[in-house]
Amino acid sequence: MNRKTLVTIAFGSFALVVALALTWQAQAQDSKTPYPSMAPLDQYLMDRNAEITMARSAAPESISRDAEVMVLGPHGYETAVKGKNGFVCVVERAWTSPIDSPEFWNPKGRAPVCYNAPAARFKVSLLIKTTELVLAGRTKTQIFDALTASIDKKELPALEVSAMCYMMSKQAYLSDGDPHWHPHLMFIVPLTEAASWGAGSPGSPVINAFVNTPERHTVFLVPVGNWSDGTPYVAGN
Amino acid sequence: MVVALILTWQAQAQDTKAQYPKMAPLDQYLMERNAEIALARSAGPKSISRDADILVLGPHGYETAMKGQNGFVCMVQRSWAAPFDDPEFWNPKAVAPICFNPAGARSYLRLLIKQTDLVLAGRSKAQVAETMSAAVRKKELPGMEPGAMGYMLSKQTYNDRDGHWHPHLMFFAPLTDPIAWGASRGSPILGFKDDPNRLTVFLIPVRNWSDGTADLDGN
Repeated sequence: MNRKTLVTIAFGSFALVVALALTWQAQAQDSKTPYPSMAPLDQYLMDRNAEITMARSAAPESISRDAEVMVLGPHGYETAVKGKNGFVCVVERAWTSPIDSPEFWNPKGRAPVCYNAPAARFKVSLLIKTTELVLAGRTKTQIFDALTASIDKKELPALEVSAMCYMMSKQAYLSDGDPHWHPHLMFIVPLTEAASWGAGSPGSPVINAFVNTPERHTVFLVPVGNWSDGTPYVAGN
Repeated sequence: MVVALILTWQAQAQDTKAQYPKMAPLDQYLMERNAEIALARSAGPKSISRDADILVLGPHGYETAMKGQNGFVCMVQRSWAAPFDDPEFWNPKAVAPICFNPAGARSYLRLLIKQTDLVLAGRSKAQVAETMSAAVRKKELPGMEPGAMGYMLSKQTYNDRDGHWHPHLMFFAPLTDPIAWGASRGSPILGFKDDPNRLTVFLIPVRNWSDGTADLDGN
């Protein structure tokens, strides 16, 4: 499996938006050096209650208040609050970015996301596995090799129909260049061409964030008008 | 806005029901062909609709007016595309342009065409619902494909209750509780179940109409 495949496997909520930022290319050069390797672990950790609050901010309260909430500890993600509606809210760190992202080790990165049940079964398993490898001190290449092997051996759950998630947090820090980006929804579907949703066509509200390799899947983003707290998105704020 | 629309729906439903108790004469639902083609195309951004198939409604059902090349199909839905319990089910003034993506065209559109055939054959609403339900149950009609969706970004969309409402995307999923996508108060997603057709429809309002202008107030 080639490097491109490896890159695409571990895409995360981060990566999608990082890759989308219109200014990404320009920023990439400047950002390449600041994060050459993993920072000390404590820079990625948060106060537990603050992390629970931030995770919940990914979706409207009507969804996140009954969701399971996971937080990052020194040994990986763990359940902090049990849920009852099938959604799982979590704050992803920058290592869910593509392997070639200049911000892969950015310790400031915080991507709050609430997955619906079909998405959670795949994405949370992938997040847990990725984070275990990170915390075990593996290099980027080792991480992606291990993930590739896990997926090929079907050790991770398969992607399900109707997998989607909410990313509507004002507190998100998705990249140095465009920390909050837009409140948006993400849809994770079996591999398909961007054109099959009209994504990326001029005037289309659908953005094709990432097309995975033939064995994998495609992610579409739909920006929405409000943040999770109900306030409207205003360009430039 | 959406909440307000939903809240006023109950009150308006009674008045509207009396207004459209049955199908109006067919010609009230028909349009001039070129106007209908333009209206159908207004559902999606030009970059999508200019290369789409265009269907128009004739006396015997929907027919292809223009062949496209991107797999999308644009058309103007009439009132009977609304849920069976919608008081405007027979409103001849209602128009709802939509551009289906290929998966939507292969699944949801097939149901819509079948439903239109039944309406034009003079079936009552109850008969239409019953026939559709049976056809879906017997798998004479396709289930919803993964990724079946459509664009409804036309400023010219109309019904009495919502006016033009908001530009939005539609998603068509196999029958599921709308809460599975988080469709609830405060969510940017609205959802409703279409039990006879064994599917759930989700609506996601977006910021701009198909002509690129912003949805300032939704109407």
